[in-house]
Amino acid sequence: MTQSTDRKVAIICSKAGLDEAYPALILANAARQSGIEAFIFFTFWGLDVITEKKVDHLHVNMAGNPASPMPTMLAGLPGMEAFAAHRMKKSMEELSLPSAREMIEILADAGAELYACELAMQMFKRKPEDLLPQVKEVITAGDFYDLADGAQIIFT
Amino acid sequence: MNKEFTTITERLDTVLEQLAYLTERQRKQEELIAELTPIAKLALGTATEKLDQLDQQGYFAFGKELVEVAKKVIEGFSPQDVHELGDAVVQILQAVRAMTQPAVLAVAADASSVMDDAAAVKPLGMFGMVRATRDDDVQKGMAIMIEVLRRIGHGANAVAEKSKQLEDKKAKLQLALGSRKQKKPLGIERKRLTAGTPAAPRPAPAAQASCAVPAGPQPSAAVIDGIAYTADGHLVDATAWTRRLGETLAQMQGVTLTDAHWAVLEAARADYETTAVSPNIRRLTQIANVTTKDLYALFPKAPGRTIAKIAGLPKPAGCL
Repeated sequence: MTQSTDRKVAIICSKAGLDEAYPALILANAARQSGIEAFIFFTFWGLDVITEKKVDHLHVNMAGNPASPMPTMLAGLPGMEAFAAHRMKKSMEELSLPSAREMIEILADAGAELYACELAMQMFKRKPEDLLPQVKEVITAGDFYDLADGAQIIFT
Repeated sequence: MNKEFTTITERLDTVLEQLAYLTERQRKQEELIAELTPIAKLALGTATEKLDQLDQQGYFAFGKELVEVAKKVIEGFSPQDVHELGDAVVQILQAVRAMTQPAVLAVAADASSVMDDAAAVKPLGMFGMVRATRDDDVQKGMAIMIEVLRRIGHGANAVAEKSKQLEDKKAKLQLALGSRKQKKPLGIERKRLTAGTPAAPRPAPAAQASCAVPAGPQPSAAVIDGIAYTADGHLVDATAWTRRLGETLAQMQGVTLTDAHWAVLEAARADYETTAVSPNIRRLTQIANVTTKDLYALFPKAPGRTIAKIAGLPKPAGCL
């Protein structure tokens, strides 16, 4: 299959639910595997995915999700979120899907660049040392557009 | 002679009298017209003004609308509907009479008076609703509403039953008379085209291990030097691969093979021979003792696919 050689994707990850973070990570990885340049811009709750203390505790929210088998009335009860996250992590393990931390490592090794949003960092009072070492830089939305020049932008 | 003259004179007198009378009448008519003209003008002016006033008050617009409504009614109802309406009119009138009994109207008026002081009514929550049911009047009202609901349900059931009976009758009639379609065709009998030609059975879906596994052998798109390639540039037959071919393929991919490259390629081929699945990057990191970083360093552009191409394996599956 012939592909244009200079393809590039810019992925914006603004949420940190398992169901919201993985698509961004997988898409970036698949892009690298297909020889496409890729970078991810983590903003708002997405910062959790690249935060040292949070990355191993990503959850999944079933409340208000009409596709989930759990009724919203139940999904809002305490413990339900942890239960759902546990179940989802288990099925990911069965597929031998890498953990979020591993995915970040793989991405960095594969040459995908990871960026954190400056404004979100200030809002959540995060310091650059709170982030995973794979994060290349803390940038602004304007910098994002400079980086994304000529790229296809994906928002997850 | 004298007598004749007298007669003529008398006649002339009569004519003169008549003339005078006619003249007088003409004069009177002219006077009348002269007097009437201003009055008529005035009257016409008033009439125009009046009509204009009516128009301003919207009488004509109303009339026009009324015509429109009538048109809609005529368009919306068929003569059949009107006929049925005629049958029901007695019931409608009875219902209207029942509804317009003074007692009923008084209840309605009293109920609607709530609307007048709606501002004073406080909003009611779920618990408020439960509390309100303790009120005797509310209980009575609720009972009446329930009774009304019961009767509506009863009526609806009756209607449904009636239409079902009608359906049953039709079905019975059909059974007795036999459907036209079931009867044998007259004349030359021939097989119906649709009968006896079942649709070709669908090919059973190939069992797929995970997403995007190429099912079965891929069709060859090109044959170069006796070796068949798929449209993606992978070998159609992995057993046709030789080390020499691998070197050629690597050159085509722009990769200069070193020992490190060969280690990965051989691991990939060995894995394919045991599992019959072309390894993806994650699998390669597990079997070939290399890191993801190494793989991207050795095969910078799309390592998984490039390795598979050079090693003569099918396109690797999966998203990792």
